[in-house]
Amino acid sequence: MNILYDIYSIVWREVKRYSKSKFGVLIRLIQPLIWIIVVGNTFTETSPLIASVGFSGDYMQFITPGIIILTAIFTSIFGGVNTLWDRRYGFINKVLISPISRSSIALGKMIAISIIATVQSCLILGISFLIGVAIPTYFNLLFVITVIILFSLGFSGISVIVASLARSQETFWATINFLGMPLFMLSPALFPLELLPPWLSTVAKLNPVTYTIILIRDVMNEQTNTNHLEIGLFIIICFAFIITIIASFVFTRDMKKPF
Amino acid sequence: MTSLSKKFGSVFVINDITLQVKKNEIFGFLGPNGAGKSTTMMILATLLKPTSGIVTINDFNIVSHPEKVREHIGYVQQEITVDEYLTGRENLILQSRLNHIPKNVAKERIDEILKLIELENKQNDLVITYSGGMRKRLDIAGSLLHKPKVLFLDEPTVGLDIQTRKKIWEHIKKIRSNFKTTIFLSTHYMEEADELCDRIAIIEKGKIKVIDSPITLKKNFGSEILNIITETNIESIKSAPEIVHIKKSVNEMILKNKTIKISSTNCTKILPLLIKSLLKLEIEIDSISMYPPTLNDVFIKYTGKTIDQENVTYNMKREYRRLRNIKK
Ligand SMILES: Nc1ncnc2c1ncn2[C@@H]1O[C@H](COP(=O)(O)OP(=O)(O)O)[C@@H](O)[C@H]1O
Ligand SMILES: [Mg+2]
Repeated sequence: MNILYDIYSIVWREVKRYSKSKFGVLIRLIQPLIWIIVVGNTFTETSPLIASVGFSGDYMQFITPGIIILTAIFTSIFGGVNTLWDRRYGFINKVLISPISRSSIALGKMIAISIIATVQSCLILGISFLIGVAIPTYFNLLFVITVIILFSLGFSGISVIVASLARSQETFWATINFLGMPLFMLSPALFPLELLPPWLSTVAKLNPVTYTIILIRDVMNEQTNTNHLEIGLFIIICFAFIITIIASFVFTRDMKKPF
Repeated sequence: MTSLSKKFGSVFVINDITLQVKKNEIFGFLGPNGAGKSTTMMILATLLKPTSGIVTINDFNIVSHPEKVREHIGYVQQEITVDEYLTGRENLILQSRLNHIPKNVAKERIDEILKLIELENKQNDLVITYSGGMRKRLDIAGSLLHKPKVLFLDEPTVGLDIQTRKKIWEHIKKIRSNFKTTIFLSTHYMEEADELCDRIAIIEKGKIKVIDSPITLKKNFGSEILNIITETNIESIKSAPEIVHIKKSVNEMILKNKTIKISSTNCTKILPLLIKSLLKLEIEIDSISMYPPTLNDVFIKYTGKTIDQENVTYNMKREYRRLRNIKK
């Protein structure tokens, strides 16, 4: 039970820090909002194109899941950066000489980042409701949020891995940018996969972001084919689980080295 | 601790250190930047493994029983490690959670320690509004929550102004008497070692030069220092018979450029003699001063140099760069 208490302590710290920064909350919303406003309005004419691959709603309805996941990706993949500060300014040393369990540090960090990313994504979801995007039932909403939590957990793991291995801010940001954008672009976030050239769409099918977006889009638009849904959910759970294990291993191993 | 050594790569950063710290004393590690103070501290705090040697803290070996050691120690790092985006109190709550202190006990201790460290009034403000000295005090407070028997303070007042430093010294003394804590601190400030420590070890390039109380060190040095500044360079009179004669009767005599520095137990007798000789050698005297030895004089005696205060003022960026380069 101690490990749960320890994880909670770390989560408490991270979330407390996040909640102190109202400015940070707002600033994280700006980028996804620009996407919604610019992309959402620029491509409204593409509705027939999207309809041709079997999507019945308008374009705004189509990209909202993509933008929500954009928010989740970037909030969580940037989230690990404070690991670098924590090592640099001795917080990690402080934790290492306390009796707290080692693995709880990485897990706590990931859970906290995932919570923060989910909150940010839900704010975007809320805003999209205001501009007319709809979701069928409360159950579907709950399902979407669960998927976002799992997805963000996986991406926070990626962030923590990069932060553990990167010895400098520069390396961290270079790697994160190298990973983040392609993962987002190579997914059906803005356009259906069917419109991509076949080789690109094959690559996109290896991307966990693809499954997450398809899953959320289906659930938000009641185009649910249960079989499809279970596979998507399974993939996302596996993704989150595997990354979490790797991240806590890498983090715990690396923290012991002097920085 | 016996024969403690630490190598980074092939370089010995700490070389065969042996010392014993007594219960409830304030022990100081005095040495210039890069002497190996922080490295020693990190080994004692179980964050680094020694290359060789045996260290026990409260009868527990730091290598075989690090968890036991951690229960008994508090460690305040050279950098300030408090969380700027939490309030002072929240920082202490976090620290008590990390140390598995039950909530109700933690609350009482936090109140007690905030009072001791005089941060009660600022406890609900974000640390980002705190001054450097307040942050350091908060950091020290955090390390006391689990009532450690031994407290390690790595350069506790580095980079702070003199008033703030004096205040922190007071707090350190109070901690020792209120909590019966044994304190092991490192510093490169002479005054700090002199004012605060019961005993000090002078360390340079990973080796201990001497261990004793500041008072004894100063006393053994020779009771007084005589410093004469001349108008002309005096290197030429080094081997004059009068000077050689005087040199024989004192502990130490250094002639360099335009200064003559003598340490002796009877400077008052030496002075007239020296003046006479200088006049005879036609050396004009600019000024004369006589004073009891300072720790700085002791330090020069054992290491052959002084700690250049200008050069060692703590520069976080530089320190970080230095460490990064080594670790790559
Ligand atoms: N991780 C490391 N790897 C290699 N050398 C190091 C490392 N940490 C410190 N050093 C070197 O060890 C020496 C002692 O450093 P340190 O213990 O920080 O000294 P101090 O605290 O007395 O200023 C320095 O020369 C420093 O460059
Ligand atoms: Mg140091």
